[in-house]
This record gives sequence, C-alpha cells and structure tokens, in this order.
Amino acid sequence: MTMIAAPGPAMRRPAPPERWLRGYGRMAAWDIASLRLYLPVLSCVLILQGAGFVYGMGLLFADMPQSAAVFVSTGAPVMNLITVGLIFEPQLVAQQRMQGSYEFLQALPVPRSAAALAWYTVALATALPPVVLTLLAGLARYHLHLAITPMVIPAVLLTCLTGVLMGLAVAHGVTQPMAANLISVTLIFVMTGFSPVNFPAGQLPGWLASVNQWLPFGSMATITRSALVPGFADGVPRAYAVVAAWAAASALVVAWAQGRRG
Amino acid sequence: MGTTGPVTGNRDDGWTFRARAVTKVYANGVRANDGISLHVAPGEVYGLLGPNGAGKTTLVKQVIGLLKPTSGQISLGGHDLLADPAAARQLCSYLPQAQVPIDSFRAREAIVLCGRVRGGKRAEVEKRADELIEALDLGEWRGKRGIGLSGGVKRLVGFAMVTVCPGRLVILDEPTNDVDPLRRRMLWQQVRELGDRGIAVLLVTHNVLEAEKAVDRVAIIDNGRLLAEGTPSAMKAADRGHLRLQLMIAPGRDAPQAPPFARRARLAGRTLMAVLDEPDAPDGIKWAQEAVASGVAEEYALGATSLEDAYIELTGHASGHEDAGRR
Repeated sequence: MTMIAAPGPAMRRPAPPERWLRGYGRMAAWDIASLRLYLPVLSCVLILQGAGFVYGMGLLFADMPQSAAVFVSTGAPVMNLITVGLIFEPQLVAQQRMQGSYEFLQALPVPRSAAALAWYTVALATALPPVVLTLLAGLARYHLHLAITPMVIPAVLLTCLTGVLMGLAVAHGVTQPMAANLISVTLIFVMTGFSPVNFPAGQLPGWLASVNQWLPFGSMATITRSALVPGFADGVPRAYAVVAAWAAASALVVAWAQGRRG
Repeated sequence: MGTTGPVTGNRDDGWTFRARAVTKVYANGVRANDGISLHVAPGEVYGLLGPNGAGKTTLVKQVIGLLKPTSGQISLGGHDLLADPAAARQLCSYLPQAQVPIDSFRAREAIVLCGRVRGGKRAEVEKRADELIEALDLGEWRGKRGIGLSGGVKRLVGFAMVTVCPGRLVILDEPTNDVDPLRRRMLWQQVRELGDRGIAVLLVTHNVLEAEKAVDRVAIIDNGRLLAEGTPSAMKAADRGHLRLQLMIAPGRDAPQAPPFARRARLAGRTLMAVLDEPDAPDGIKWAQEAVASGVAEEYALGATSLEDAYIELTGHASGHEDAGRR
C-alpha cells in the first residue's frame, strides 16, 4: 500500500482489488446521495408505467385470454427492468454534459468498472420495488397464479444489467446530449411496440420476428417469463445467450467510450 | 485554522508537474495547444492566464486524462499521466469551470463524500471538511442542500470538495466565479495554504488582477501558444517606472484619442487604459480631468501598472475584470 499524498487527509492508493471495492462502495454512496431526490420519483414513474400498462391493456378486452394476461403481466415488469437503465442514465449523463459537471465526475479517482457496477446496483434497487408491484398488479387484475423458480434471480439480474449497460453505452458513447436522449427514447419505443415483450413473437410480421431473434428485448422477456411461468416460453437458452451477448457488447462500447480521450 | 498534514513549503520533493511540448490538434483541425511546456513545483501556485479560447482548459483536460495530446508528455513526479490516466485522476484533483453536481447533497456531506471518493479516511476527511467550512465561512450552509445554494456558495463548496483530499496537484479552473469579494479573499488564502502544504496548484483564469496576488509564477497563453512565463514581478518589469491611467468612458460617448505622451493605450470595453511614464503623470491627470469635465468620461484612476498591462500587451485582450479600476 503506497501513500501518495501527505498534505491534508492522507489519500491512499491501495492495491487494485481494494481500490476497486472501495471505489464501488463510495460511488454507490455517491449515486444514492446525488440522486436521492429523484430515485423515489423514478420508482413511482416505473410503477405507473408497469401497473398502468397492466391495467390499461385489460381495458381492451371484456375478458382477456389467459395467455394474453400472462404476456402482459410478465412483460410489464421486464419493461420496468429495462427502462431504469436505458432511459435514466442517458438522460442523467446528457444533463451532466449540458451543465458541465460530466468532466468533474469523470475526473474522480474511481475505476470505471466500479462506477458502472455501483450505478447498476442503484438502478437494480430502484427497479425492484416497481417490478414486484407491477407483477402483483398483474396477478390481482387477471387472477393469475405464477410458479416462480429460482431462475428468476439470474433472469432479473441479467435483464437489468443489460438495460443498464445499454444505457451506459448510449450515455457515454454518444457525446451529443440531445442525440443520446433521442436514441434512448427510440429504444424504449422499439421495446414497447416492436419487440415481443408484452405479446408473442408470432404476432409480429415474419421479418420483424426474425430481427427480434437478434435484438435483446424479446429475449429479456423470454428469460424472465420462463422463470415466472415455467414452460410458457420457448428458446430460453438461446434467449440467455442473446441477452448476454448484448450485455457483453454494451460493456465493450462503454469501456471504449470511457477510455477514449479525444 | 488547523492543518492535518505537514507543512512542506515550496520545494521540489520529486512531485513536480511537468508538461513538455504538449500539442493538441482536434479532429476538425483546430490547434488548441501548440508546443506548451511548463512545470509546477510542489508548493507552487502557478497561474495559467489567457483569454477565452486560448487553450487553457484543453491543457488541463489533458492533464487529468479527459483528452489525449496529439504529441508531448505530461508527468507528475515519476508518473507518466498520459500512460496512466487512472493515476492522473488519483494524483490530481480538478475543479472545472462549471458548477459541481451537488443539488441533492447537503454542503458538508458533499465535501466529505468527495474526500471519501478521493480515498481519504472518514475521520480525517470530516475533520478537514469542518476546517474548510470554517475557513471559507460556509457554516451557515453546511446542512443545506445544493439545490438551494447560490452560485457563489456552490463554487466554494466545489472548491472544498476538490481540496479536502487534494492529491499532489490541484487544478482550479476559474475558482472565484460567482464568489463574493469577502469570500474570494478566504478562497485565495486557502489556495496559498495548499501551496504552503507542498501541493502544486495550477490555477486557470482570465482574471489577471486576482491571479497576480495569488500566484508564484504565471504563464500567459493565447491561441494555444505559451507567450510568456515568469513571476508577476518579472512580467511587470518591462513596465517599471510607468503608471497606468484608466479613463471610464461615459455611456453614449465615443472614447477620446489617447494622450500623445502615452507610451501605449488600449480600449477595453468602456475603459481606455493608457500606460504613461511617471514624469508624465501630472499631464495625464490634467488630460483625464478635462475628459471628465467635458462629459466624455465619468471618472479616471491613476495607479501602478499591473500584471494585467503585461497581459494586455501580450494578448491584446483585457482580462475578466475590465471595471476593476473603479473598485
């Protein structure tokens, strides 16, 4: 362990594992403190998004078919998991860029991967209560019975992680704030209207269903739905592979974007 | 106020900051830095002066690893900051020109958390944060959230955040923006104290009058090039034996021709600044009094030449405080 600064409070430059863990913990504390006015609001927005979607879709049918109810009730929580990372981080970073505070935060001595994981932790903690409430809303509205398996844990963690990494990739990869906002909003529209998250892929035109086999959103819904209603979703291993590939690709983009120095 | 580290004074103990022939050419062809070389010793407060767009901020962004030079070297002690940007972020603390993002933080909490993120131990950081709050007279806002703070108070909190656990090089980009005159003095005192503790300070500003009192050495840069470097006294040496006459032009009136005995003169905003030989002072006063009496000017001031005169001569720009002569 090396002491690198005598003046003022001693600033240690510890060994890499300790530096990473310390950076992770302190950036998580920083994220929570810096967003404490907004995170409860974001949770409420996610609850409105999820529960509103669940109840709103029910208004289209006098008696919603059971399979449709399962799609809607298990798809809406997936939208919650994706939205928190895909929308909030790009908007936050865009605001930081416009206010000029982005550089201050980028100059903090925290490993980039530790800062990213700290944000993932905060995003997951923000999304989980809305996910549970949205799910409960669906169960209550459509009188469903789920058989939740332990696979729900990796499915939820991976889905949220991929949404967060995609959001970070847009936030740090696109330097124009307005463009970053537009891209993240466009992706949300793609998730909502053009991806088999809340409806079966068979409802889409053939070409769009084929495209969605390589896009992440339908696969995110597949892995989460398969953990909530076993046997309801097909192609689960492939869906895990697709989502993991998007997570890895997004992580590479984030690493490139944060490592580039103009 | 108390100190938590040894007072090391101005000396080179192996932690000298060096930039060597740093050149930065952006993708659009703009040459923001052109072969800039400078060094800042531990304990030294080094002013980087220049007009807007001179290349000051580009230089400091390269120091902390946010930009990469097209060519050149940047080091701090034995660390190559270009090869190891993580070390740059650890060793250097940076107050950007924009406000720090503290809307949700309480003032003291922001200072402490920043010190913790920078690697300080909780007890030491909290003690130092309290010292800074007292030294900058921020006690009344210590528990207030950033969203309710004025721009000047936010600026001071930002200063405390980057200096609570400062590393070896502190980079301050226009630290006194929005700060009231009384607390500016307190801030400059803290800048000097950083130097007294053996920390190198790189002060970026276009406010030459303030910088003159705070810095040990200055460099003047414009159009990406380092035009001059030295102590404030050395920079003013060319104007030794001269006086500065400032004439504040009345609104709606055209500036008069400078007096024929002026060595040189420039119009900066509504202020005509002329440099005179000392023996010409009585004639200068008479000329200025006539300008005031005729309504062309509102008032005038005669005083010693300053670093700003050298700055104007080199860059052709007035500094951030064109109205300073009236204070």
